[in-house]
Amino acid sequence: MSTINQRPVSNTPIAYGLMSLSPTMGVINGMEVALEFEGALIEGNRKSILGVTDVSCFASFGIKGTEAASWLMSQSIQIPMNRNTWVEHEGYLVLRLGGSEFLIEGQYSEDQYSHEIFEKLARFNQATVAGVYKVQRADAAFILSGSEVLNMLSELCMLDLRDSALASNTLVMTQLASISAILLRHQLNGEQVYRVWCDGTYGAYMWNMLLEVARELGGGAVGLASHFRGTHK
Amino acid sequence: MKLLNCPMNGLRPLGEFIYGGEYREMPNPNNSSDLEWASYVHYRDNAPGVKKEWWFHSPSGTWFIAERNTLSDEVLNTYLFGKAPFPKNENLSDGKLGDEKNTELSA
Repeated sequence: MSTINQRPVSNTPIAYGLMSLSPTMGVINGMEVALEFEGALIEGNRKSILGVTDVSCFASFGIKGTEAASWLMSQSIQIPMNRNTWVEHEGYLVLRLGGSEFLIEGQYSEDQYSHEIFEKLARFNQATVAGVYKVQRADAAFILSGSEVLNMLSELCMLDLRDSALASNTLVMTQLASISAILLRHQLNGEQVYRVWCDGTYGAYMWNMLLEVARELGGGAVGLASHFRGTHK
Repeated sequence: MKLLNCPMNGLRPLGEFIYGGEYREMPNPNNSSDLEWASYVHYRDNAPGVKKEWWFHSPSGTWFIAERNTLSDEVLNTYLFGKAPFPKNENLSDGKLGDEKNTELSA
C-alpha cells in the first residue's frame, strides 16, 4: 500500500544519516525517503553484495491486548498462530510480537486490497473495543540484501541467524548493534533478504552502523527504487 | 558468554536482560499486621540461596520470573508471572530459533 510523490508530512527517522549522502529523495506514504543514491547500475551491484535500504515509509499499524488477535481476525486479517512468527499476505506482513502484540506493515505495492486493509485499520477506535490497544509505531525499518548479509549480521548480532538456525516464518526480537531490534528473513522479488525494525529514535545510529559494516564488506546504501521499480521518479 | 532463557524468546545473551529485583509474595495490605507489612516493605533477606527474581528481556519487553541460586548463580528455571514453572531446562529450545516449546497460542 503506497502512494508516491505526495507532499511530505514527515521525514524518515534516518534523515540525519542521509544528509551527507545527498540521495534523490521521493515521498511515499507522506514520508520523504531516499529513492536512489548512485544510480541503478552501482546500486544493483551493491544490492547483490550487501545493500542497506531504508523502508521506514512503509505503512505500519501496531496493536496489542488480550483481544487483539480475535479483533484482527474479525477484520479479515490472517494472523500467525504462534508467538514470534510472521505471515505475509498480498501487500502486507503481519508480525506476532510475543503472544498478544502485532505489527502489520504494508509493503510497497499497488495492490488495492492492502490499501483497503490499512484504511480500515486507521479507523480503529480503541474506546469501542475492549482488550485491544493501539500501539503507536515509529520504527526505522530496513531491508538488508545480498550475499554478505549474514557476515554483517554476525558482526552486529550475537545470535546465529543462518538458514539452518532460524526457522522460516520466525521473527527474532534481539539486539543489533546493541539496540533492541526485530529481525526476520523473507523473500522479496524472489530474492532472500533480511528485514530489520528498531525504534525510530535510533534510526540514524542504526543506519550508520549498518552502512559502516556494509562498506567494509563491499556493499553500501541502496535506494528504495532498486527494490521497487514503481518508485522510479 | 552467559545465557539466560527467556520464556517467550528462548536462550539469549545475558546482555539482553535487565535485573528487576527479588520477587516476594506481598501480604494482603488489608489483613496484614503492621509488622508483616513493614517487614515486606523494608526488610530483605540477603542470605544467598534460591531466590525468585524479576527479569526483563529488553528487546521484546518481556517481564518474567527467574528462580536463581544467588550463591552459585545457577538459574533453575524461568517462567512468566502466574504461569507454572517448567522443570529445569525443559523449556530450552533445541537450538533453532523459533523452536521454543509451547509456542502455539490460542487466537
